[in-house]
Amino acid sequence: MKARDTLRMAGMAAALMAAFDTVHAQGVEVQVPFALNVDSSAAAIGLGYALDDAPRFGMYNGITKEGYYGLFDFNLVDRDDATGTWNWLSGRNLGLDSPQARYEYSKQGNWGYYLDYSKITRNEPYTVTTAVGGIGSPNLSIPTTPTAGAPVDLRTKREAIGVGFDKFLYGNWNLQVRFRNEEKEGARLFARGTTGAGPAGSFGAFEFAPEPINSATRQLEAKIGYNDSKLQLSGGYYGTAYNNQYTGLNFTGGLAGLSNFTPIALPPDNQSQQLYLSGGYGFTPTTRGTFKLARTQATQEAAFVTGPFVPLAPGIGDNLMGRVDTTLVQAGVTSRPMPKLTLLADLRYDDRDDKTPVLVYLTPPSSTSNGENEPRSILTKTGKVEASYMLPASFRLSGGIGYEEKKRNTSPVRVVSYRETTEETSYRVELRRTMSETVTGALAYVHSDRDGSPFQQTTVLAGTPGSNLIAPIHLADRKRDKVRLSVNWAPIEPLSLQFVVEDAKDSYSGRDGSNLGPREGRAQNYSVDAAYTFSEQLQANAWYSLNNTRAEQSTCVAASATGVCPAVGATPIWGATLQNLSSSFGIGVRDKPQSDLEVGADLSYSDIKDEYRMDTIAGNPVTSLPDISTTLTRLNLFARHAFQKNSGIRIDYIYDRFRTNDWTWSSWMYADGTRITQDPDQQVTFFGVSYYYRFQ
Amino acid sequence: MNSNSATRSLLPLFLLCLSGALYFSNAAAQSADDIREGKVCASCHANAPIVWSGKHGTKADGRTPIANAGCATCHGDPAEHLKSFQNPMPRRFSKMASSEKNQVCTTCHQGQARIHWQGSTHERADVACATCHTVHTAHDKARDKRTQFEVCFACHKEQRALLNRPSRHPIREGLVACSDCHNPHGSVGPSMMVRDNVNDTCYTCHMEKRGPFVRTHQPVQENCAICHNPHGTTTPNLLKARPPFLCQECHEPTSHRGNVASLAGTTTGANTLARGCLNCHTNIHGTNNPANISNERTFRR
Repeated sequence: MKARDTLRMAGMAAALMAAFDTVHAQGVEVQVPFALNVDSSAAAIGLGYALDDAPRFGMYNGITKEGYYGLFDFNLVDRDDATGTWNWLSGRNLGLDSPQARYEYSKQGNWGYYLDYSKITRNEPYTVTTAVGGIGSPNLSIPTTPTAGAPVDLRTKREAIGVGFDKFLYGNWNLQVRFRNEEKEGARLFARGTTGAGPAGSFGAFEFAPEPINSATRQLEAKIGYNDSKLQLSGGYYGTAYNNQYTGLNFTGGLAGLSNFTPIALPPDNQSQQLYLSGGYGFTPTTRGTFKLARTQATQEAAFVTGPFVPLAPGIGDNLMGRVDTTLVQAGVTSRPMPKLTLLADLRYDDRDDKTPVLVYLTPPSSTSNGENEPRSILTKTGKVEASYMLPASFRLSGGIGYEEKKRNTSPVRVVSYRETTEETSYRVELRRTMSETVTGALAYVHSDRDGSPFQQTTVLAGTPGSNLIAPIHLADRKRDKVRLSVNWAPIEPLSLQFVVEDAKDSYSGRDGSNLGPREGRAQNYSVDAAYTFSEQLQANAWYSLNNTRAEQSTCVAASATGVCPAVGATPIWGATLQNLSSSFGIGVRDKPQSDLEVGADLSYSDIKDEYRMDTIAGNPVTSLPDISTTLTRLNLFARHAFQKNSGIRIDYIYDRFRTNDWTWSSWMYADGTRITQDPDQQVTFFGVSYYYRFQ
Repeated sequence: MNSNSATRSLLPLFLLCLSGALYFSNAAAQSADDIREGKVCASCHANAPIVWSGKHGTKADGRTPIANAGCATCHGDPAEHLKSFQNPMPRRFSKMASSEKNQVCTTCHQGQARIHWQGSTHERADVACATCHTVHTAHDKARDKRTQFEVCFACHKEQRALLNRPSRHPIREGLVACSDCHNPHGSVGPSMMVRDNVNDTCYTCHMEKRGPFVRTHQPVQENCAICHNPHGTTTPNLLKARPPFLCQECHEPTSHRGNVASLAGTTTGANTLARGCLNCHTNIHGTNNPANISNERTFRR
């Protein structure tokens, strides 16, 4: 009885997931759980060996090169029953380049604290072969002519330390304090340049300029909460700060034509302070209200980069004096006035007010700018109402209306189409069945319609009309239709099936009199999951997903400054249909053929294809870009043999293959000779052997 | 199901119930503590006591089930059920609607991050606490970064497929979890973001993009998701589309902006290969360079 009912309790969708013991998609089964539970104390130590270099496989786990890797995880939990005191020490990936550790001490119901540490390394999956010097520093030396150089491993590393404190106060009050400091360092792909003459083999005057990273991100949150059966409150302070050790990226050498492209400004220090109060109140057992009030002030006052190639317009100080104030007000209510009827209403007001002083940074103004900086303010108002009613046979019918209005500012001189306000109304209807022994599911349909205030005339300086042909994708009139069907079906006791179908279509309208810009979007997702329990010892699952997204858009080559298209002769008006089509499947099996032996296998495969179909609408013919195909294959096998009830050995085998014909970098050479490549067929085999011990 | 397999399936159940019946024949001899702590329950419901090895089982904390009515705190008074198996427990979770199940949990778990549960997307979709959380196990997958995504993917199939895209967050390595960005218990942000909006959520890790800058790029300030799909893409940097197509979704086709995408040519190749349009417009999230230089307004240095 229990196996079946337990699954039903958690819902059939969750049952599909829960059919197995935990399987990590990266191929390392969780032998050592991360859990505050006295039955979960365990440790595993071992050694792994990668038979090949594997940049993609090791992008985040650090197993990028052939060689040995340590495997060490532990989770130690102790509770003193008399005092309710917990000691919890946990560590993961301690032999790899992404270690995570946490210590927590608490006297449950009274107070507690924790310390945690994490390191995330992102290894650039591309191989960079360059002669650029000073990588990782803010001072780069660029060869003046193409130079072969040597392979360089680019990576960024985030190391974070978190501290938290909790205290239950008198009555129903509690205090929570969280602080997190993350240091990030390394270098990432970046460049400088311009079109124009470059050395033979290059595509212009572009130089490899890896961005140096040496910054810290800090977050502090302190909040006081109140909980009783009717009222819950949470109010506090949330402060953040970003500090960058490097303000600008400086260059020596390089092309003469780029000599004034220095320094490149790097992200400036910035900070924010927020005060907030959030709460919920149960007016009656069937009616509850929630709210949140928040006020945030974000500032950016970092000193400007300086140098001989950074002339300043008159009156410009040494920093932006940037300031953005944001006010958030939210209120919602849910109610069940009748046992079968549920109602919901929610309102939200979000005012992002950019108060950065407007100054003239560019004198004289250019042809497409009045020279001022452009603070961006956005006012968003949203609201929704929804009702649902229980029907016979455990069906529930829901319907709702949502509304969103966004108001944005702009510069009086601009090169991108603009409308002050967009408004979107959404209508949603859903039929859902959740309480059934065999079939549950939901069918939902959403239609939304976005329009707004008239597009304003795009102008260039002195009121001259500019080009008014494209309605930006986030401002354009749009009709969206979305259908989602999900079905969970247990036709026979050991078998659970799940089907999900999603189909969404966007239709865009362009600027008046223009057919250019985004035209249509489509997203289709189909998936089927199955889990079968052959016996208590043997289970299997499988899934398949087909995902297709498509975008259709059009534009025009070299329209005139006033938007005459084509401006000259037969320059093309052209369209693009961008499609991403993928099919993926996974199969997993777990067996326990003997009481002291467990074996498992997982295979996953993804075939992803990007198509770039380009067609001529008028004028000279255009040629489509080549498709890009990417396949990922992953096979995980493991066997676990128990020496005793609480200890044993585990053997892991992982095979990972990444194949692509991606042309993004394949023919590209920077003017300094830098090339960025990747092995189009990466295969790696990884063996791991570990000893595990469960503390009992 | 054939008769042999039915027999095999039912035999353990029969033996379990038989042992339970024998146990209960002596139930009167069981102490109230045995009942409260689930020792009686465990004779049939073998995984029941596991719950006490976690926080629910801390006796010294007066708020916990073990310090109160034990199993009955959540499942109701077992008195009638102990008299006869035919009498169900007052709260049979397998027969309860999600809202009823959740009411049991929210009796205690309603404050702080769960304040906005009512009315949230998950609540309205009839997601129960137990859909994601497993109380009667030593390891709750939903609370473990390495395994949480498996829980989420039980419903979110598109995100499962996107996880295998070449450009992605380190989710399958267990270094980033869905709950780093989303609060599945409800929030005031869109898509149940942990902070009040998409951008503020992204800034928790990518604060260098916040600015404000001397030269701002409007969609960057409005919503990172206009250009990025954080769940995974084939285009580097989680971009929804490859430049120049992505940029052409907003920009007027004057000057070079409407150029065709191509793998050849110094202007067309330079807008398609490598970083695409970003080959020139390198500081696309905004630049704080105040230089009084004409092309500086286009994020070039």
